[in-house]
Amino acid sequence: MHKSTKLFFFLWGLLALLAAASLVGCTASPTTAAGPTGEASPAATAASSDKITIVIPEDPQSFNAAIADQGYDSMVMKMTMLGLASVDPQGQIYPQLAAELPSVENGGVVIDEATQVMTVTWKLRQDVTWADGTPLTADDVLFTYEAIADPATGLYINGLDYVEAVTKIDTYSFAVRFNAIYPSYQTLFGGDQVVIWPKHFCSAADGFTAWACNRQPLSSGPYILQEWIAGDHLTFTRNPKYYQPGKPAIETIIVRIVPEASVRKTMLVQGDADVLMWATEQVADELKNETAVKLSVSPTSRFVLRLFMNLAAKGATDPVESPNPVFADVRVRQAVRQAIDVDTISKEIFYGFSSPVWTEFFRQPYVCDIPRPKYDPEAAKALLEAAGWKDLNGDGIRECDTCTSAAQGEPMKVELLTYSEYGEPLDLTQQLIGEMLKKIGIDAALSSVPGSQMWADYASGGLEQRGDFSLDLYDDGYAGTDPLPFIQNYYASSAAEPDNGWNVGRWSSPEFDSLLEEAASLDETQRQETFCKMAQILDAELPQILLFSTINAEAYSARLTNVEANINDVVTWNVADWTFVK
Amino acid sequence: MGLYIARRLLQAAALVFVLSILIFGLVNLAPGGPLAGYGQARHISPEKAQILKRQLGLDQPLPTQYLVWLAGNDWMKVDLDGDGVLESTGSRRGILRGDFGFSFTTRQPVLSEIGQRLPNTLYLMSITLLVAVCIAIPAGIISAVKQYSLVDIVITTFSFAGQAIPEFWLGLVLIIIFYAWLKNPFTGDPLLPAGGIASLDAPFSVGDRIAHLILPVVTGAMGWTAWYSRFLRSSMLDVIKQDYLRTARAKGLGERMVMFKHAFRNALIPLVTLFALDLPYIFGGAVFVEMLFSWPGMGRLYYQAALQRDYPVLMAVLMIGAAFMIVSNLLADILYASLDPRIRLDR
Repeated sequence: MHKSTKLFFFLWGLLALLAAASLVGCTASPTTAAGPTGEASPAATAASSDKITIVIPEDPQSFNAAIADQGYDSMVMKMTMLGLASVDPQGQIYPQLAAELPSVENGGVVIDEATQVMTVTWKLRQDVTWADGTPLTADDVLFTYEAIADPATGLYINGLDYVEAVTKIDTYSFAVRFNAIYPSYQTLFGGDQVVIWPKHFCSAADGFTAWACNRQPLSSGPYILQEWIAGDHLTFTRNPKYYQPGKPAIETIIVRIVPEASVRKTMLVQGDADVLMWATEQVADELKNETAVKLSVSPTSRFVLRLFMNLAAKGATDPVESPNPVFADVRVRQAVRQAIDVDTISKEIFYGFSSPVWTEFFRQPYVCDIPRPKYDPEAAKALLEAAGWKDLNGDGIRECDTCTSAAQGEPMKVELLTYSEYGEPLDLTQQLIGEMLKKIGIDAALSSVPGSQMWADYASGGLEQRGDFSLDLYDDGYAGTDPLPFIQNYYASSAAEPDNGWNVGRWSSPEFDSLLEEAASLDETQRQETFCKMAQILDAELPQILLFSTINAEAYSARLTNVEANINDVVTWNVADWTFVK
Repeated sequence: MGLYIARRLLQAAALVFVLSILIFGLVNLAPGGPLAGYGQARHISPEKAQILKRQLGLDQPLPTQYLVWLAGNDWMKVDLDGDGVLESTGSRRGILRGDFGFSFTTRQPVLSEIGQRLPNTLYLMSITLLVAVCIAIPAGIISAVKQYSLVDIVITTFSFAGQAIPEFWLGLVLIIIFYAWLKNPFTGDPLLPAGGIASLDAPFSVGDRIAHLILPVVTGAMGWTAWYSRFLRSSMLDVIKQDYLRTARAKGLGERMVMFKHAFRNALIPLVTLFALDLPYIFGGAVFVEMLFSWPGMGRLYYQAALQRDYPVLMAVLMIGAAFMIVSNLLADILYASLDPRIRLDR
């Protein structure tokens, strides 16, 4: 008996000791990422009036958004690093490190008409230095390019395969030689993913994806990282060497990691947070009437909710050999589009923050005049009848009766699949679409999988790559001003090969493929025309059904001004301009 | 006893090896792949996918991947630049030599990722369990000694509620009440912070630490307290009916003496075992509590890794967790034997 008491107290003592030790340990253990300048963090002494807090749900993976592009990395990257040029909310490209944007007009772009290749000459600003005082020069650009292009430790960025060489002209200028006409050349080393890295600071041996400056960057941008405690917060202070005089106005920015959405919202309302990145429809609706909180909502978002129809049978990748019994017929795809009441979904589930979208070319700079399809279930039914799908046994679900690709009498059944991470709005949308399809006689079974399963590569059993789906629902879009890579990735016939792109509906059109080639041009009028021809083909053939764009909004404290949502970038795209309301 | 422990440790080593195969297999064979988490736009370009796979070692067949994970690849040549020629020497040492690899998402060594989170989890979970035990023991005893009294009914009600209320809901309600509604009458600030370990702009103070602990500890301890107190109550009730208690009373001992010296200590034996089996939670953390209260602990690390298919982190947490579990089991057996003289282990 005596022994048990001793042991019991021993255990208790051990626990108490453990608790005490970890209490002390916690104060000492977090390693401080000393600012690259070696200056001590003034965060502790900054007055709260000169400090703001941004709340996000998870840690950025790094400061190099080219690697993962999950948004939070881009957000912190934009606070510390600069690219050659970036894109504003209106879709206008503006120079950052570049002194001016090279174009054909100003002689910055020279096209060799015979070989159809181009050379772009960039001039850098001469007043930009890294936070340690070293000037930012063409050597840094060359270093960055070589690091990205390194076959062993580099990475692929959009357009990289069109770059033949990058050569230095003098300290502040360099030339990029392309092996084709590459229309997105202005944001190749810019935009929301790519920035210029310091040659004297980052280790070329470790490489672009693994070097330490991805987590402890040397700033060229408005803020300097002082401290990063994983899972808790990142502290940034103003970069005194930032090239724009008098900016940034706010001394300290803290990025807090707050996983729970309702807690982030409450913190904003309570004044403990100043910027809530990526407000969802629900949060935006709940914050509408808060006087201390403002919302910046983009007129349209880049993310469009869309239906992907597999033209090949479920589990197959060849639509000719094994066509999808339901969706191989274009009339069925048209019927599905007419059966979906986009406005109701938008109003009931997305709080009216979404706008209907029916063509890929719906936002600046390329807008095509495609008439909006009507919501008309009766017309949809007529289309299905015409396509040979009739309700033979009176159970409300149609069966094949002289339809093109299914066996006689086969019921019109599809699986409507979506991904689980988006959450409730997408789940509800899926249910509503299921009901709408049922009304015209299509039986849609609903299911949901994690995104990592839906979009895994072929070898990992990715449902889309393997064609193991019939009807998918999710949101996607592109940042920046050039839709071409995005369109290519979704509609080129080469992208229909497994692991070679995301044309997972396996739609193909030789005419469309040649338009894709034509679109690689710097002639804006011709581009506009080409894109609108594409829009017409897509509208007639319907490889995807576009429904509406989801919200792109940033919520922020009313004590701040100049916070502006940007569909082409992240909230911190103009962080240097943020100020307090006087 | 020494021989017994040695034998058990040997068995444990074999078990860990089998577990390593199981964990690796389960994590890798689960549907989906790690690359899908590499893009905010829903998927990544094929060119990028190819490079990433090679850099992360995912281009190798699974048995090779397992071998590299277990024993490293610094003794063999690998193809880093994708030209099909094995030109470079690998840099991994394998978990057998203490190298758990690097995280797919952060590219940091897995052990340093765990090292950043583990102290926070130990801190929160040990205090949570301590609080739970400190409340559960008196509650369980009173509940048993005064069986069917009003006190017992109240405690029982609370225990059932504690077991039934989901942590997630309780935590949210507590945040609404103590963060959003109630204010500190002196400063006008919220009464308790919404989350985190400590205030960022304040110097270290015990008061601040405690303020940050209250809500997560209450939320986390609720279920444990209920569970332990119910367990102790029934264990006490069993003991109270034993003959030796009647004997003790017959000897003329006071009721207090009988209860504490004879009943309580015996009732405690199964509870100590139970507690030892729960020790791995101190390592693993509590996902819901950490999510709700923005606590940078192991539970969230694991949850993130699971969502993003960060295999190395996932496998490391599972392996270390499994090792903890095995050691706790051994500890439970040893404790049981030393507390209860009727049990002999080395036979």
